[in-house]
Amino acid sequence: MQDVKEAVRIQMEDFSQDEEIRALRASSKRIGGIATFLGCARDFSEDREVTQLGFEAYGSMALAEMNRLRDEAIIRFGLLDARIVHRIGTIEAGGQIVFIAAGAEHRGPAFDACRWMIDELKQRVPIWKKEVSPQGDSWVTPHP
Amino acid sequence: MISVLLFGPVAERARVSMLQFEHRSGLTLQQLRDELAASHPQAFEIVCFTAVNGEQARDPQLPLKDGDEVAFMARFSGG
Repeated sequence: MQDVKEAVRIQMEDFSQDEEIRALRASSKRIGGIATFLGCARDFSEDREVTQLGFEAYGSMALAEMNRLRDEAIIRFGLLDARIVHRIGTIEAGGQIVFIAAGAEHRGPAFDACRWMIDELKQRVPIWKKEVSPQGDSWVTPHP
Repeated sequence: MISVLLFGPVAERARVSMLQFEHRSGLTLQQLRDELAASHPQAFEIVCFTAVNGEQARDPQLPLKDGDEVAFMARFSGG
């Protein structure tokens, strides 16, 4: 039997959307709809070419916050299950960064929860992104 | 000692990602921040969030204990 990975993870290695969805579906046969979000590494930023992204996290705090976020989403939207995976380290342009999946009895809460989780993740989880381009590297620092 | 953690853009500006700061009686989060900001002004220009032992700390008058881990962080940009 294949090991089931944790529902919330921060990892260097790539992930499989199929595996994550399979794990989510295995959690309950009451699931009638799954909404997913996949964040990818764009190859441009404000007209500059971007060849790679680098991600750094305050690991322990980021993982705790992502778990809290998942728990909150399950309660708030009445989800049956949810998964959040974020990569750190270097990701080539075109690669996968983050995956979020929300499973609910009906599609409405699944869509709403998925959107809510990625929006909240961006606000609340201590992870930082660096863009690597032929012109040099720069951290993405949203304005306060 | 207080362990001070800096990440990403803050660490790059400070040219260091971890500092040890001598604890003293009555030391508050604000005092620690002020003293570090004086020696690393460019890094602290972009600090928006502070965490003590992995929890966001919003009270600048929070007293720090010996052995605390304090992170000064720029606005997050994950996802």
